[in-house]
Amino acid sequence: MSEVRKVRVPIEPGFFTVPDDPATPPRLLGSRCHACGEHFFPRRLVCARCLAEDMQDVELSPRGTLYTWTYVHFPLFGSKRADHAGGYGVGQVDLPEGPRVQAVLSGELGDFRIGMQMEVELETLRENKEGQDVVIHRFRPVEAAR
Amino acid sequence: MKLENVAVLGVGMTRFGVFRDRSNVDLAREAGLAALRDAGISFKDVGEAFVGYIGAQPMTGIRAMKEFGLTGLPVTHVENASATGLVAFRDAAWAVASGRCQVAMALGFDKMTEMSMGTRSGGRGVGRDAIDSVILPAAYFSLWAMRRMHERGTKREHFAAIAAKNWNFGAKNPWSDRQPDHEVTIEEVLASRKIAEPVTAMMSCPVDDGAACVILASKQLARRLQPGRPLVAPIVSTLQSETYARGHTFMGPVVGPPSMTRDTARQAYDESGIDPMDVSVTLVHDAFASEELEYYELLGFCREGEAEKLVEEKQTHLGGRFPVNTDGGLIARGHPGGPTGLAQIFELTRQLRGEAGPRQVANARIGLAHLVGGGSVCTVSILKRE
Repeated sequence: MSEVRKVRVPIEPGFFTVPDDPATPPRLLGSRCHACGEHFFPRRLVCARCLAEDMQDVELSPRGTLYTWTYVHFPLFGSKRADHAGGYGVGQVDLPEGPRVQAVLSGELGDFRIGMQMEVELETLRENKEGQDVVIHRFRPVEAAR
Repeated sequence: MKLENVAVLGVGMTRFGVFRDRSNVDLAREAGLAALRDAGISFKDVGEAFVGYIGAQPMTGIRAMKEFGLTGLPVTHVENASATGLVAFRDAAWAVASGRCQVAMALGFDKMTEMSMGTRSGGRGVGRDAIDSVILPAAYFSLWAMRRMHERGTKREHFAAIAAKNWNFGAKNPWSDRQPDHEVTIEEVLASRKIAEPVTAMMSCPVDDGAACVILASKQLARRLQPGRPLVAPIVSTLQSETYARGHTFMGPVVGPPSMTRDTARQAYDESGIDPMDVSVTLVHDAFASEELEYYELLGFCREGEAEKLVEEKQTHLGGRFPVNTDGGLIARGHPGGPTGLAQIFELTRQLRGEAGPRQVANARIGLAHLVGGGSVCTVSILKRE
């Protein structure tokens, strides 16, 4: 399979990195408060915990623990892909720094269990007018549950 | 802070449902005129109005008010997602309780059937960040439900039993969207279309149009105008947005966390001196049946981990210890958005006056209305028959 690698662009900038090499895992872009140490996703300018305006941009851990999940039996909004038409998982993943991230999950109904390790990846939703792949972050189980 | 010297003078609503040929303003007029008739006053007696809606264009509230006449009264638009109507009620109650006016109107309307979910450019849902627009709203409450099942061993049947209860209450309410012609069973609810695990279509509220209106007045005026009628007095109305805690998710119009309901209800109980055990009839935000189960504990009707038992013992049915969503709730009566909270006050008022017919709670004395709204907020109002 010799395929020209397509340019990937985020659905919205400022939330995650899009590495040039698709084999490199992306990182979620967060903030850390200098005053109290609390971490946040996504980025913000004022600390929601201590209200200090002293935030530092950080890249968050790519792995976390699944706090809860569901499986939605409807097509994924904004996706034109046939394999997104049947349904999709949604979960909340607790990152080691603290933030709980709500995102789409990769996998089938039955692949998920609360407490399992998850890793962030990028998923293509559709192609834009420029022929670039529009991507969004999602989490997949580190080891397949099957 | 406790509400003093304010009473519900009149209530009115349209039936909730799908009304393709009727506008927001048309629905609002019907509900408002019904409330004015029930109150026994003229629109010129109304000193201030609060209008709530989610889906319509800016200024629709002031346009709707002109249907009743142009009297120069102050009109304020209120929007707090699903909690909108109950927050408009809160503002109107305070307008009277503060002495700013003798009579205030809270009016809510919406045509949820005309709101375009997920049809804007790029497939984003209404008012949502693009980054989070890919997730169906039903997923948010299902995330609670799945965590609850993990922690407490809650079964789908518990959620289905709540949904069936609310559908069957709907059959007893002429203003309910869903009025089933047969006794809805747990099996029927479970067999309906899957939405988001573990929630099925019959555990979810419909997409509705409708309007509702509540008119509030000072107690003296209410007693003078309605000498033969039991006085229904709002005694507290609390509203909270979220307090930061670890585990908060910031993306999109989040719902969360369940503890908001406990905090907002506790404030209402503390400020009013009412004990949860004193509540005769309760209306909650059952957009999905799984939520209602959690609210039994968060509103203090049972201890943590005992909500399933309350369901099994049918304690939230008519004749139970805590009848909940006697008008069918969001699941059956419906949930257009703006008018939803005012429909709750409509039902509580009729219950506390003893006018609820086949769904009447015996000797109803204290009523509680609860809504959460995306973003998120929570609001609780308690009314008392005096």
